[in-house]
Amino acid sequence: MSIAEKMASNQKQIAISEFFEKNKHFLGFDTLNRAIITAVKEAVDNSLDACEEARILPDITIEIQRVPKSKDQLILIAKDNGPGIPQKSIENVFGKLLYGSRFHAIRQSRGQQGIGITGVVMYSQLTTGKQTYVKSKIASESSAVEVKLGIDTRKNKAVKYSQERVIWTEDEQIVEHGLFIRTQMKAKFQRGSQSIVQYLKMTSIVNPHANITFRYINSDGELEIENCWKRATLNLPTPVKAIKPHPHGIHLGQLQRMLKDSEERKLTSFLRQNFSGVSSRAAKEVCSKADLSEGAKPKLLKTEQVNSLLDACSEVKFLPPPTNCLSPIEDLLIKKGLSKTIDSKFVTTLTRNPRVASGNPYQIEVGLIFGGSMPSDQQVQLLRFANRVPLMYQQGGCLLTQAISSIDWRQYGLEQSGGKGVPKGPATILVHLASTNVQFTSEAKEAVASNDDVMQEIRKALLELGRNLRRHMKKKKKMAKAQEKFDLVNDILPAIAEKASSLLGKPVPELSSTISKIMNAVIMEQSTYWDKESKTVRVKGILYNYTSRPRSYTILMNWPEKQGAVMIDNERGGRKETIGLWAWKIETLQSGERAHIEFGLDNLEKGDWTETEVFYRGSAEVIGASKLDEKILEEMKNQNSDEVLETMEVITEEIDETISNVASRAMKNSTGDEIQKESFQTTLFDGEVDE
Amino acid sequence: MSRRREEGETKAALHQVVEEMYTKLEKGETPTMTLPVRTKLNIDFDKKLGVYKYGKKRSTRDASSLGSAKNLLRALHMVEFIDEMIDNGKSSTLREMYYISEGWGHGKFSTQNESNNLAEDLEIITTSMREDFRLRPEEDGSRIIGNLTINELNRRGEWMKINARDDVGDSGYGVPYNVEREKIELLDHDIDFIMAIETGGMFDRLIENGFDEEYRCGLVHLKGQPARSTRRILKRMNEEWNLPVVVFADGDPWSFRIFGSIAYGAIKTAHISEYLATPSATYLGVTADDIVAYDLPSDDLTSKDIEALKSELSDPRFADGYWQEQINTMLKLGKKAEQQSLAKYGLDFVTDTYLPEKLAELGLA
Repeated sequence: MSIAEKMASNQKQIAISEFFEKNKHFLGFDTLNRAIITAVKEAVDNSLDACEEARILPDITIEIQRVPKSKDQLILIAKDNGPGIPQKSIENVFGKLLYGSRFHAIRQSRGQQGIGITGVVMYSQLTTGKQTYVKSKIASESSAVEVKLGIDTRKNKAVKYSQERVIWTEDEQIVEHGLFIRTQMKAKFQRGSQSIVQYLKMTSIVNPHANITFRYINSDGELEIENCWKRATLNLPTPVKAIKPHPHGIHLGQLQRMLKDSEERKLTSFLRQNFSGVSSRAAKEVCSKADLSEGAKPKLLKTEQVNSLLDACSEVKFLPPPTNCLSPIEDLLIKKGLSKTIDSKFVTTLTRNPRVASGNPYQIEVGLIFGGSMPSDQQVQLLRFANRVPLMYQQGGCLLTQAISSIDWRQYGLEQSGGKGVPKGPATILVHLASTNVQFTSEAKEAVASNDDVMQEIRKALLELGRNLRRHMKKKKKMAKAQEKFDLVNDILPAIAEKASSLLGKPVPELSSTISKIMNAVIMEQSTYWDKESKTVRVKGILYNYTSRPRSYTILMNWPEKQGAVMIDNERGGRKETIGLWAWKIETLQSGERAHIEFGLDNLEKGDWTETEVFYRGSAEVIGASKLDEKILEEMKNQNSDEVLETMEVITEEIDETISNVASRAMKNSTGDEIQKESFQTTLFDGEVDE
Repeated sequence: MSRRREEGETKAALHQVVEEMYTKLEKGETPTMTLPVRTKLNIDFDKKLGVYKYGKKRSTRDASSLGSAKNLLRALHMVEFIDEMIDNGKSSTLREMYYISEGWGHGKFSTQNESNNLAEDLEIITTSMREDFRLRPEEDGSRIIGNLTINELNRRGEWMKINARDDVGDSGYGVPYNVEREKIELLDHDIDFIMAIETGGMFDRLIENGFDEEYRCGLVHLKGQPARSTRRILKRMNEEWNLPVVVFADGDPWSFRIFGSIAYGAIKTAHISEYLATPSATYLGVTADDIVAYDLPSDDLTSKDIEALKSELSDPRFADGYWQEQINTMLKLGKKAEQQSLAKYGLDFVTDTYLPEKLAELGLA
């Protein structure tokens, strides 16, 4: 049996087609703009889920065509390279509501309730009277099947209008497996924050393993928009296991259905077999709390007995459910996803450990991207996701938004009036909630419902990002100060010398001694950037000796050796200090001289490595680098862990500050008489002492 | 002491500034620019001149921070620019210079305030006036109404006789930016005193009420903190025509400062106080006492007002008993009043009652 056939065989059915026809607004078809987004969303979610289950790297193409000479009619074409759907299952997948294996299994999945693509077929039929065209190819068959479908909403059944076997080729290649859908519907294509482009962009961030292409063709038949989000990783999301429900997360209806379907003879074995986290001791405890016999036949329980069983479940302690049913994106991939779609200077991401709330395993992932071309006078852009699905509506009423708003972002360097609400600044904040059971505020599944445990967990994750942002800003500020000095001695001072000399008709004086006096420091200037040409990360550092004496140092830089990066073009040589830390010895740097350290990092992608830490060994302080803590280095050599390097940064940062304070004081005190004292004061206030 | 200079002298004085920077660089030191400290802590009363001048405190602006290094570079560009203007017989406005600085690379000004301040700095260092630098402000001077006659050199190079009562419209005689003898001659008058008025509204009220004729005075509109030319022409009328000057302003801390700059010299222009200040000028009102005596509609002092008053308490220009009392009274009242609040008692109250009473106190009516 092929994977596709296996998947299809799990499908069960529930009849509420008619209900849908009357309630299409619940399902995201209430406005013309929303209808097309919902349709795209259902198609893309299905493709991603199917590819994930079949372990295929997804290539998804979405095309929207404006139907010429029509009022608000669009054609949607969705194409994927997924496993396809076997011929006999097509009618059920596209024609029945709540049809899908996912509805009954407890694990993290995108669609979750299986109402999806059928709704699209139905909406299409209701608004245009047109059938939906489906082409499917599964790997085990040599030809593809072509079907035209409509839906009989009273019988909850698909009506097949034609069916043919065809050979499906794309670019003269026979398609191995995949699904092609074309449907026509009344809808409007829009741009902006609630648009297909935004939805697909967000989808691509949280599905870094997918290639997603979008095309919009206007009513003149011209290609007006084309976007392509390339995959940032070849690793598919970790396969998730379906788990049994946990007694703390069960609802009455579900429990009744499970009891009715049960084969077990004894209540205790029913509890142990059908739930996760139930030991035999716990099963007995439930029975005694519910005042039910351990040997009661599950099938025969009356409603009030089921109620007391449910109450008993909430009182008893159970083992937590397993968390391998979750598939987080992982922080590194979120970082990649964010960096490839948003131009910025700083990205920080975090994946928390899985946790359990009311018997449901869940996991929080967050990301924050800062700087670059994002506008600084507007609200931060929020990217909300539940189980890798972008949430685009009802931002205000969503738990994820509330968690972001509850944090005082001012302490971390963003603007926020009154210390609450969505902050302002050049940033984007991402929150992903992965769970076997995401509780939404409504059927439209656009806003996550309140939950204290989840809220606290998101807050913890965001606070950590905030601390990283603050550290980044602090570093930036320090570098900006050093940069000012550079501008001063490299640009302004030579200009002063040149102008003064030409006005007086005298030779330009030698400046090195003046420069040493002004700077009186050793400075490390360092930049890390992505080089498009060579597709490598470039790291450039220059060490300047702006003191009056010769200096010698060992300069060390961290690099992502563990992530598989390869160091290239390192002309200065040096040696490996430990994993992820390279060292260069600078023997003698004369007063006024500079030393260059440059290298490239191959085998990385854009956004993988954006900041390099610089450390030094030597007697005098280096502005722009941190003094290496030898004790921590020893530990690092033993453990070789990245976490240690992080602690080292925090500690050296403090030491760093103290030293630079002392140094700046020393610099100021090196001048003497009465006039000079004034100068010290005026320098503090930038020379202006006006009224 | 400042005085108008010959072109050669001006250039030499400016080159001293360049020389100071160059010498420091030659010695391998940080280039500097030394100038008087321009705060109230460094203004002293000059007994001989009867005005406040900068004292002996010097501050040094050195190139050890980016901001002040840029300032030094700008000064050099400005010296070069002035050199060229002197050589070519040109002149420019401060605003034009600000735009010209676009071509000065790292020495470009980021705001016009910067260029104005630096022009003042150079005046102070070289004890020259900006007219020597061939720089003029675009700030417009004040308006004058009254029976006084002025001879002004017009654009065609002809002298034009203007009577500020008979030859002008309701807006009065407009004072040009240059009021020196080569441009303006004070010919004749038939008035007893000059009244300088802070706000345009009050200036117009007095004109409408015919106050200038009835009380034989010249009215000068100050337009807030008066421009140099306004202060200069007040001084000239005071000295050349021997006319008393009274100042009629709002009753708030900022009006006290306006009076201070007219009578004693402004802190920003203390290097040329003897040109601009009228030491015999008197403050007519609105005083802190008036607010109580006339029961004027008033506003609460803002925190900025209070800060300004407290700062005035330690300002040497306000060190005498009269001002200390006025300032303390206002602080105690916690109130300030506008001159137009006198309208509480009708439009004629100011001309029929208030001013006659106040002038009588001074022996002018």
